[in-house]
Amino acid sequence: MKSSKLRLLLASAIVPLALTGAPAIAGDFDGVELRVKLIGGDQYEPLYAEIEKWEAETGATVNILSRKNHFELDREIKQDIAAGTLDWCVGSNHTSFAPQYGSIYRDLNGVIDASVIAEFDALAIENSTVHDRLVQLPRHSDVSNMYYLKSVFEDQGNKDGFKAKYGYDLAPPETWDQVKDQAIFLTKGPDFFGTQYVGKDEAITGRFYELLVANGGALFDDDWNPTFNSAAGVEAVSWFKDLYDAGAVPKGVLSYLWGETGNGFASGTIALNLDWGGWASYFNSADATAGNVGLIRAPKGSAGIRTGWSGSHTFSITESCDNVPAAASFVTFLTDYDRQMVEASKGLLPTRTQVWVDATAHFKADGNAFLANVMEVYSQSMAEDAFTPPLIPEWIEVSNEIWPRLQSAILGEMTIQAALDEAAEAAAEVMEDAGY
Amino acid sequence: MRWRAEKNTPWLLLSPAILTILFVVAIPLLFSFYTSLTPYKLTRPETINNFIGLRNYERLFDDAKFWWAFGRTILFLAIALNVEFILGLGIALLINKITWGQRTLRTIMMFPMMFSPILVGFQFKFIFNDHIGILNNALQGLGIMDDSIAWLVDKPLGMFSIIFAEVWMSTSVFAILLLAGLFAMPRDPLEAAKVDGCNPWQVFRHITLPFIMPFAFIAMTIRSLDVARAYDIVDVMTGGGPAGRTEVLWTLIARVGYDNAKMGQANAMAYVSTLLSILFTYYFFTKLVAARRYMGGAE
Repeated sequence: MKSSKLRLLLASAIVPLALTGAPAIAGDFDGVELRVKLIGGDQYEPLYAEIEKWEAETGATVNILSRKNHFELDREIKQDIAAGTLDWCVGSNHTSFAPQYGSIYRDLNGVIDASVIAEFDALAIENSTVHDRLVQLPRHSDVSNMYYLKSVFEDQGNKDGFKAKYGYDLAPPETWDQVKDQAIFLTKGPDFFGTQYVGKDEAITGRFYELLVANGGALFDDDWNPTFNSAAGVEAVSWFKDLYDAGAVPKGVLSYLWGETGNGFASGTIALNLDWGGWASYFNSADATAGNVGLIRAPKGSAGIRTGWSGSHTFSITESCDNVPAAASFVTFLTDYDRQMVEASKGLLPTRTQVWVDATAHFKADGNAFLANVMEVYSQSMAEDAFTPPLIPEWIEVSNEIWPRLQSAILGEMTIQAALDEAAEAAAEVMEDAGY
Repeated sequence: MRWRAEKNTPWLLLSPAILTILFVVAIPLLFSFYTSLTPYKLTRPETINNFIGLRNYERLFDDAKFWWAFGRTILFLAIALNVEFILGLGIALLINKITWGQRTLRTIMMFPMMFSPILVGFQFKFIFNDHIGILNNALQGLGIMDDSIAWLVDKPLGMFSIIFAEVWMSTSVFAILLLAGLFAMPRDPLEAAKVDGCNPWQVFRHITLPFIMPFAFIAMTIRSLDVARAYDIVDVMTGGGPAGRTEVLWTLIARVGYDNAKMGQANAMAYVSTLLSILFTYYFFTKLVAARRYMGGAE
């Protein structure tokens, strides 16, 4: 009797622990197969090498059904929704994508222990919440900051020439106007360019959006009417166009995405590059840039606001998952302190605030001043500058109406105002169709 | 009874094929056509029940972006097929003359076809990159130019780069089929023409070319269907941009159907664009029949 009571007590203690995704106990999920769909790519893979530790701890096996880039994964998930084949448990997600998936993902409040959730950055948790449901647990955040080649800014000839031409000292830029001046001055095309930007898809919409906000504008008003065709919007697009017209960015910039800009900066032929932390280690070890990379917070727009288009890569659990405790344990494991330290070592910005502090201290103790600075800059920018695009299901569709018009304006096929007006009209139609 | 059984035998024997076609082709086609009459959104499966008649099609006829992509796809198709035909013919004629190592050359010639279009897209995206790409670096290194060329951005060059990649990957389809035609060609008319004093150009123009044209039209039919569905290479190299300069039908349809999740509207676009494939297939089959009639073959 005594023994059975004890067993009951133990069992009642273990069940809530398992349900709330507490660290799994060895053999908890013996024989369980967890079907997952994860984002693939060099910067995401080191975390997946850790999965076998969770498998060894719990006795479960992880069956990775997909390992694609986020845009392809997004298409696959939409197909799964349409076909009703959500027969998997855990999926990589992103704060910009999550709102469009409706209710396929489970509210993690109550599934993941509240004390675990409290260890994450409050802003990242807020951005992971859709209609009051925490549909994702943030893995790392992707706010961008400014990398620069130190040698270019230390060169005495550059310093003297710049001061003579612009009347102020050449130093890592504090404003986007300074970025423009410096980029034009430093360009020696076609071998060396002052800066570059991602020029297509949601990437350029995001860059436009953050500069719009930094210039004091907004995408929508409170009633969801597009307002980005404002003076602040024109000022933002002018920045892209002026650099393009001046030849201060590579000519093919409108075909660039993250791979091209990352590899371009790593080739040592770009002076200033706004990018996320995932490239940091690579930049500082690539042959052409090793030891020559500096990093500062993203510059300010004309309204004195820093650019900070941000989002978080996350993990979600499907409503249809047949083993929620195992999925919760897996997601908790992938975002726990140790795993986030692994991601931090690659320059990624984890979402647990304690990891920001400890990783910075760890890098300093190791004498790795570069990565310590990376962690400090990105954590500060995440805490103070970051803002997401509107977390609405129509974001990608609205973006698809904006970016081709931005390209038209930059190429001079339309005036900036005409391009923005046309994009605003199309965006208004999207919002109207969606019932806003 | 026996008469009825005999009457039904062909249907019974054909039933596996009929059922297969019904399930694999007809039902999906009918289903996707039905979805084109709804505001079906992938992320909101319940929208498939909302019938809106021809509204998606009506919207399409006012959609300038769609018709520009339609026209651009025709241009893409016309240029790619003609260039592939000319190059394929040249390669086939040259290989036909070789007496040693022909099999090895035929195998090597097929290598580009073995690559996935996505890989070909990435390969040429890197080659044509204006800043760190091989082509611009080679041109600058050889002293041919000092500036860089924005291959994937400039108005005519963007389409040129995509067509170049497509031609690189698929010219061998033409070469292989035309080579098969050359192998099947009887020697007698060629020898008779030489005896009659025809020069090599006259032999090629009036005997060789008419004989291999049916093979060329078969290759064109196959390739026109391929090119009209072009997606992977274009999506990887330019994504249809910049500013829609390289937008073809399937990059637009995929964006509407998947990125915007508006599968009903995308299916309406796809049905209208299928007209293009039907048109080209009909045209090439008409030419094929005419070519066979010219050669005295069966219609």
